[in-house]
Amino acid sequence: MAESTSSAAAKQIQAAGVSIKELRKSYGSNEVLKGIDLEVAPGEVVCLIGPSGSGKSTLLRCVNLLEQPNVGTIHVGGFESTDPDVDIDKMRRKVGMVFQQFNLFPHLSALQNCTIAQTKVLKRSQADAAEVARKNLARVGLDHLADRFPDQLSGGQQQRVAIARALSMDPELMLFDEPTSALDPETVGDVLAVMRNLAKEGMTMLVVTHEMGFAREVADRVVFMDGGVVVEEGAAEQVIGAPTQPRTQEFLRRVLDPTHIDIAE
Amino acid sequence: MAMTVRQRARVSRSVQYGLLALAVVLFILFADWASIGKAFFNWDSAVKQFPEIITLALKNTLIYTALSFVVGLSGGLLLALMKLSSVAVWRWIATLYIEFFRGVPALLVFIAFGFGIPTAFGVRFDIYVTVMLALGMVAAAYIAETLRAGLQAVPKGQLEAARSLGMPHWRAMVSIVIPQAFKIVLPPLTNEVILLTKDSSLVYLLGLAASQYELTKFGRDGITQPNAGLTPLVIAGACYLIITVPLGILARRFESRTAKTKG
Ligand SMILES: Nc1ncnc2c1ncn2[C@@H]1O[C@H](COP(=O)(O)OP(=O)(O)OP(=O)(O)O)[C@@H](O)[C@H]1O
Ligand SMILES: [Mg+2]
Repeated sequence: MAESTSSAAAKQIQAAGVSIKELRKSYGSNEVLKGIDLEVAPGEVVCLIGPSGSGKSTLLRCVNLLEQPNVGTIHVGGFESTDPDVDIDKMRRKVGMVFQQFNLFPHLSALQNCTIAQTKVLKRSQADAAEVARKNLARVGLDHLADRFPDQLSGGQQQRVAIARALSMDPELMLFDEPTSALDPETVGDVLAVMRNLAKEGMTMLVVTHEMGFAREVADRVVFMDGGVVVEEGAAEQVIGAPTQPRTQEFLRRVLDPTHIDIAE
Repeated sequence: MAMTVRQRARVSRSVQYGLLALAVVLFILFADWASIGKAFFNWDSAVKQFPEIITLALKNTLIYTALSFVVGLSGGLLLALMKLSSVAVWRWIATLYIEFFRGVPALLVFIAFGFGIPTAFGVRFDIYVTVMLALGMVAAAYIAETLRAGLQAVPKGQLEAARSLGMPHWRAMVSIVIPQAFKIVLPPLTNEVILLTKDSSLVYLLGLAASQYELTKFGRDGITQPNAGLTPLVIAGACYLIITVPLGILARRFESRTAKTKG
């Protein structure tokens, strides 16, 4: 048992890349994504930044088809998710998603949150699923709280359970939509630490975030979006440290110095 | 002399209690207790109701209620899911059904099932089946609306999280959304059971064998005995309360529990 746990833990993360081409998405007459091209190489960590309403969440949700794109193609780990005949559920098993509001299942314990999809979707036995779940709860530092229910956990702990839940499906790509925006400041660090480790282990990650420090440190690449288009992308140091586009500069000035008031405006 | 708000409230409360006490005293003094006793509470007649009113009538009321609740709950869940379906035809059918069965008196549905359908289609149902269908189909309409509200009260993120884990829609509904919806609708659902318990009295229409009597029919049968007065009905009423009052308490428990977990 100890042996199988360690060998499971040692198993290399299978990384899948994402390739988005000419993606467009409208709600009624409101075009939210206006032709997005974005590549995430296997094992790469890409942070998506941009002002509120720029379409970051919509883009992320298109990747695992929580939103249906109107035009364009998305390839995820051997699936063309925009193909009308794609097996959506099979594709989603390879793509873990972490939400701003955690969305833990409140009627299930932390452990059950991590086992339910394993048993019902992957058809793992209860024992196997529990073993995988415990391994992943340990990975986020919460194996000692496996029997707690979500309402008995702090926001940061809930978000870490949500990450363990997604990891328990052995995803090849992880999507994060502002995973720390709903947290008390003192628990943000724990969640970011878990994500940092995940990045080190070689997980492919597409992260929407306002945490510029995290993006700068962990991201291989940073993509700045505004008004439904990619305005600027490149190495984290370049986009956050020395942005070339005026819209990026303006956005970063506001985010990095929220009290700054531009008199000229 | 000015009174504080609290003093005024206390005086007002005392006056209300006083008036109430006066009414009770007057009623006790001037009521014709002999006639009242004769009409509503006749000891000999009361004793005669036992034990059958419990072993037979109460039992049958519980059976009729339980059977129709099973039909009402499964039918109601089906209708609620139809009403929330993305397929328009299902929504229309569910809406028609719900509007119809909520709009006509349960009594008419009983008559239809008891006499209309057997004549029209040449089928004869067992009495238990008739009750189950007639009462269950009416209950389904009410329960459907309750469950629909419950399903809609489950945050959308729950379904999205479940789908993101690769669960097909039906699996996400069964394992994630429906269990949470049930928890939300437990109080109103308990109230539906109370209504059903009382509505099971409509069975009297159907021409029952003595072994099929439930509380109301048993009581009505009881008052036809000489000198019984209305006592058998009083006892039957008390038996309904034995079922419904605990259910009411249960519903309030559920309510305060959900209120607590929300806050
Ligand atoms: N389901 C929807 N129906 C209609 N409009 C929507 C829907 N979802 C998003 N939008 C609109 O799409 C635009 C982009 O929204 P989106 O949530 O992708 O932005 P965002 O970049 O994630 O912003 P934030 O930083 O505030 O999360 C917004 O104008 C929003 O109003
Ligand atoms: Mg967003």
